[in-house]
Amino acid sequence: MSQLFDITLIALLIACAVAVIRTKDLLAAAIIFSAYSLVMCLIWQHRGAPDVAMTEAAVGAGVTTVLFIVTIARTVRRER
Amino acid sequence: MTPADAVIGALTVVFAGLGAFFFLVGTLGLLRLPDFFSRTHAATKCDTVGAGSLLLALALYNGLDADSLKIIAIAGLVLLTSPTSGHALARAAFRTGLVPWRKERAGEEAS
Amino acid sequence: MKRALVAALLIVAAIPLLSIVAELPPHAAPDSPAYTHVSAHYLEHGAEEAGAENIVTDVILNYRGFDTNGEVTVIFTALAAVLAILLLPSEERVEERPAPAMPVSMVVRFVVRLLAPFIALFAVYVIMNGHVTPGGGFQGGTILGALVIALTIVLGEDEAHRLLPRPARPWLQAAAPLTFVVIGIAGIAVVGSYLGFPAEEPWQWVRTAWLVILEIGIGVGGGAIIGTLFWTMEAER
Repeated sequence: MSQLFDITLIALLIACAVAVIRTKDLLAAAIIFSAYSLVMCLIWQHRGAPDVAMTEAAVGAGVTTVLFIVTIARTVRRER
Repeated sequence: MTPADAVIGALTVVFAGLGAFFFLVGTLGLLRLPDFFSRTHAATKCDTVGAGSLLLALALYNGLDADSLKIIAIAGLVLLTSPTSGHALARAAFRTGLVPWRKERAGEEAS
Repeated sequence: MKRALVAALLIVAAIPLLSIVAELPPHAAPDSPAYTHVSAHYLEHGAEEAGAENIVTDVILNYRGFDTNGEVTVIFTALAAVLAILLLPSEERVEERPAPAMPVSMVVRFVVRLLAPFIALFAVYVIMNGHVTPGGGFQGGTILGALVIALTIVLGEDEAHRLLPRPARPWLQAAAPLTFVVIGIAGIAVVGSYLGFPAEEPWQWVRTAWLVILEIGIGVGGGAIIGTLFWTMEAER
């Protein structure tokens, strides 16, 4: 059961990673990257590293996404 | 098993089922509804009621202790923040000029 | 000429780094110290040797304190680099910002005002309790930074700037490396080595107090750095 959970999470993680690379809309990529961080946070927690999970949730899903979006708002939204 | 345990167990099942149902409906709505506003509405609904009742079920299952209090606090946070973020999203979209979908106009937009 | 100088400097800096990396045990080697005895020793004796019940805090602040000292310096340097790049034409900065096109909704304003004290309390709890439960300066500092960002977006920059008073701002941004230097020098004075922690019988509480002070320094510094990063990046130019 626990292994099934792990496999599901890792499949989601890989799907998110591929989606981040493939999408041309940078705003969408930033949001998907935030979802990637949330999945990563769950994996850390499930592997028994709550400290890293907290950092991942706060930095990866929270602050970096905001900084990405601010940067996109200052520059361009579409990848060329 | 005392009658109180049975009642609490039944309530746990009811709330967990309710949460799962709302998440299912919310996800279906997110995938199937026609425009941004209705999709935001579906997503917010599924977050608020779904996560709220799932957390309530967890608190009931856990019994009365400090962890349950924390779970209830998280449920309160979700109940506060999820509608707020939905409201902010929809408001921002409306103010920037996104026109809500209407059934009678669906044909002409598609053409 | 300038380029050649930079290249020469980089090579000079790279030689000692590469030679040290060559000394490290090969990646995933089964006989590297981390696998034979170091991890087991940390897990077994960490709590009594290093002074915090949370082994992660023991490792990052006590056993590997010097690494973390470098790490917080790197974060501070990153902020300095961002400021150096984005603040270049400092005279031309628009001091009076135009009113935002879309006023923030009353609902959002109310909820953020309502939740802000709780978020701040949670951040302080995560920072101060980092030596017992998961969490610590880096996590709590990021929560503080997120709070600063939320308040900036919702209440406006002027309101949020009051969180980091202008005269104290450089000190708050440099809080993490400064705390490490202060604790490190205190270690020299008391124990005789940089970032040394007193471990003898009556002084255990000093050790834990130093860990908590380091956590507070990292937390305040991290929050201030994240807040300033956001302000610098979203400012009108």
